[in-house]
Amino acid sequence: MTSSSAPSKKVLSKIASNRLQKELKEWQANPPAGFKQKATDNLQRWIIEVVGASGTLYANETYQLQVDFPEHYPMEAPQVIFLHPAPLHPHVYSNGHICLDILYDSWSPAMTVSSVCISILSMLSSSTVKQRPDDNDRYVKNCKNGRSPKETRWWFHDDKV
Amino acid sequence: MAAMAPLPVPASVVKQAEQLKQDGNSYFKKERLGAAIDAYTEAITLCPNVAIYWTNRALCYRKRNEWNKVEEDCRRAIQLDSNSVKAHYMLGLALLQKHDYSGGIKELEKALELGRGANPASYMVEEIWQVLARAKYMEWEDSSSKRAPRLQNLREVCEKAFLNYYSIDASEAEDGPKENDHSQQLECLHEVFNKAAQADTPSEVPDHLCCKITLDIFRDPVITPSGITYERAVLLDHLQRVGRFDPVTREPLDPHQLVPNLAIKEAVQAFLSEHAWAYKIS
Repeated sequence: MTSSSAPSKKVLSKIASNRLQKELKEWQANPPAGFKQKATDNLQRWIIEVVGASGTLYANETYQLQVDFPEHYPMEAPQVIFLHPAPLHPHVYSNGHICLDILYDSWSPAMTVSSVCISILSMLSSSTVKQRPDDNDRYVKNCKNGRSPKETRWWFHDDKV
Repeated sequence: MAAMAPLPVPASVVKQAEQLKQDGNSYFKKERLGAAIDAYTEAITLCPNVAIYWTNRALCYRKRNEWNKVEEDCRRAIQLDSNSVKAHYMLGLALLQKHDYSGGIKELEKALELGRGANPASYMVEEIWQVLARAKYMEWEDSSSKRAPRLQNLREVCEKAFLNYYSIDASEAEDGPKENDHSQQLECLHEVFNKAAQADTPSEVPDHLCCKITLDIFRDPVITPSGITYERAVLLDHLQRVGRFDPVTREPLDPHQLVPNLAIKEAVQAFLSEHAWAYKIS
């Protein structure tokens, strides 16, 4: 991944803030099932609570996602990580970074916070084991300096978990 | 004025006026508006039939918020050159300042039409569009704020009349009023008024009139070979920055494959003419 965008502190572009306002409005009227956005007045960082779907390994467990939007959202993907404690999952590192292609190389501006959340929940739901990725320790050590997951050269794990 | 034959102006005078315009332009760039106005005024005195001298001076007045003078100069410029985008644009702005929304909108629409014909991608066209959208929203706000109390008033009168009518009816009919019929009719009356109020209340623009990327109502919709419609400018931005694929279907996509979606454009126009509140752009 060659993206140079560290968690951008730059203000949102006009297109970005316009679109986020619309997404927020739509989310408030129609939140995706299993998710709850914590009300803040910061349009650029959303904190979202996710409850594991029933009948899956994460049933009734609650986790928190932190979504940061770059200046040129949606031409750039948002940065999405789990806040501590991150769920035990083969694609989720203990520092909260998520290995999911749509957050990096496969991002498309037609995706929304809502569709990203649904993808993450479906990633959780399809897991058959509760464990960290094989390279967890090495990866987390490499990220010690607070590196953004968007700077990681991701090598996507198998889609089927 | 229009019937007056233009006097032949000696070439030396024409040249002098042109020089004064250049002077005015450089004063304007340095924000020396008074000096610029003097220069343009002198140019106008020498050659009153050059529309640009008038529009340039109007531009100075605009910066000074002297809107009556903007209007005067622009009207003169339009007499001389009815195709002047700037003259129609600034006249539109001046009329909006006077709260003459319909007059202002007419001028801005003319400016937009002329501007699009000359150079559809220019910054002026974008600016005019933005102002026009704001003007239409203001016009709607103005008229709806007058409509709403009138409607409310009428509603109260109708309800009172309805109740009066049936109280007389009830006293005349010995075998008891048909309570059910009355309450149904009253409900119907409420419904009619609610619908009328609703049509004038901002709500959501239907999804099919909104771009999948901006989530905003279309202005210049283009359709891809996958059949998905997007706002042209942001889709081009996507193709350049993110990748050469259709954002929804992920099919390969090249800028030359985009085709204007005229049907959606017309649908947007139709929607906006019915729901002017949708002109609100943040």
